[in-house]
Amino acid sequence: MSGHRIAAITRRLLQQFRHDRRTLALLFVAPLVILGLLGYLIRGATSAPDVGIANRDQGQLGASIASALAKSSKIHAVTINASDGDAKLKDGSLVAYVVFPTDFSQLAQQGTVAPEIHLEGSQPGAQAPVLQAMQDAAASVAASTVRFQPRVTTLYGGPNLDQLDYFGAAFIGLILFFLVFVVTIVSFLRERSQGTLERLMASPLRRGEIVIGYMLGFTILALVQAVEVLLFSLYVLKVHNQGNVLLIFGFEVLMALSAVNLGIFLSMFARTEFQAVQFIPLVIVPQVLLSGILFPISTEPRPLQYVSDVLPLTYAVNGLRDVMLKGADLTWPALQLDAGVVAGFCVLVIFAGIATLRRRIA
Amino acid sequence: MSESYAVDVDNVVKSFGTMRALDGVTLRVKTGEIYGLLGPNGAGKTTLIRAIVGLVAPDSGTVAVLGKRMPNLDILGSVGYMTQAAALYPDISVEENLRFFAAISGADGNVDEVLKVVELDQRRKSVVATLSGGMRQRCSLACALVHRPRLLLLDEPTVGVDPQLRVQFWEHFREMAAAGTTIVVSSHVMDEAERCQRLGLIRFGKLLAEGTPNEVRATAGTNNLEDAFLTLSGRSSE
Repeated sequence: MSGHRIAAITRRLLQQFRHDRRTLALLFVAPLVILGLLGYLIRGATSAPDVGIANRDQGQLGASIASALAKSSKIHAVTINASDGDAKLKDGSLVAYVVFPTDFSQLAQQGTVAPEIHLEGSQPGAQAPVLQAMQDAAASVAASTVRFQPRVTTLYGGPNLDQLDYFGAAFIGLILFFLVFVVTIVSFLRERSQGTLERLMASPLRRGEIVIGYMLGFTILALVQAVEVLLFSLYVLKVHNQGNVLLIFGFEVLMALSAVNLGIFLSMFARTEFQAVQFIPLVIVPQVLLSGILFPISTEPRPLQYVSDVLPLTYAVNGLRDVMLKGADLTWPALQLDAGVVAGFCVLVIFAGIATLRRRIA
Repeated sequence: MSESYAVDVDNVVKSFGTMRALDGVTLRVKTGEIYGLLGPNGAGKTTLIRAIVGLVAPDSGTVAVLGKRMPNLDILGSVGYMTQAAALYPDISVEENLRFFAAISGADGNVDEVLKVVELDQRRKSVVATLSGGMRQRCSLACALVHRPRLLLLDEPTVGVDPQLRVQFWEHFREMAAAGTTIVVSSHVMDEAERCQRLGLIRFGKLLAEGTPNEVRATAGTNNLEDAFLTLSGRSSE
């Protein structure tokens, strides 16, 4: 091993990026766009769907529930005639309408509260707020007779925790992993397609020196990106963080190293840059779906849980969430496992990269 | 394996699948010699050069470079290798390419000097992607020279280089050889063959004839190398 030769590889990589503004932009602007968009999507003010209300009730109950609905933040209540409802669903101006029939109060006194709810029906996501608002309204009217007051406590986080805190913790790691992987696999492949890998092999460079040189170069870039992403998440998006920032950074270092070496390793199996790009859905999409970023692993079908258990990103995401949401530190066995698995994967791909480098040259 | 041979290839056989790229080649190049490998496309010239630098592992036979049995990574610091297609990093400058190739061979490099030789000192700050094909070829040669190699392997170095610069290249090769550098150069251009001290004619992975340009002509009984080459390769296929 020669530090001089390793430094030569690293320096050249950084020079390449200095000349290649577009790739630099991908590495440093794209994460902010993605995270910023995610933040706005989750935290930006959402507009409530329009729901029609037609009160034909001859008693009092219909009117009280209708006025409770009008105050709901989940929907935007609009008074309509029951006969116009279907037409408004069809032209898309309403996602649902509610009709309180003429005998509504009368039936309620006999124990049956039966409003008619007409849903547009093609958008499953739009139904939930309507039904939720309906239940809330009914409950608030009923509360005048019965009180339902559960006392809620939380072990971690608290009532202020929102979706962005949950997804943000995972995305900090995912974005880094994804972008570093893509840039490495393509630039290593270019080394082969432009013939320079052959020149490297006809020099005193050792295989390990090439891999380490690449690793250092990309890790430097990845760490600059990690700092940027972290600052943006914590101070601009104000993603909840209860743990040690250095631990988050430590996870990011491990993920960057894994992504670089996975990129080098997989570039051996592609002949062209086009083929390399095809690895992206193969490597990234299953991990995004199954590593618990979007769907908690405990709710997955059993066979998929086994798959999730062997994906390195599962542990990285879990570790980041434990640190940021629960304030975990390295004395927690769960965090030791997460950090251990990610570090182990990292070492595995480093050796896989070195071992396969030879094969494709001869 | 004597150190007096810069390149010592002994009965090397290499097949790719059913294709025999090298079929028992034995070839010795003395220190300070300019040795020309002559042959048509697909004759095995590139495979032979790659076997000399250790990029191709022979199925049988041995290769020694500067007295060291190949593959040997350390001796490659004393070898310059110019591939057929310019192998450069297109998105960094000429000078950055040169400094990189010098550094991986463990040398500081005579960057200024080689830039003058290939007449690229005006373009040293230019990104390689902006250079013309001929300039890239010159830059590629400069990268093979920059660490002052004792053995220079050139795979068709003058493709795409204009005649005037080609003359300068060869002048420089002669100066280097006079200073003790051994040069193995492949070509299918016959007027370049004239400039070599010794020639090896290669076809179908076999060395058909070897000798000075005059000896090769005499063996074939012809007046020019082109005819000699055709005669000799015709004779071997009979």
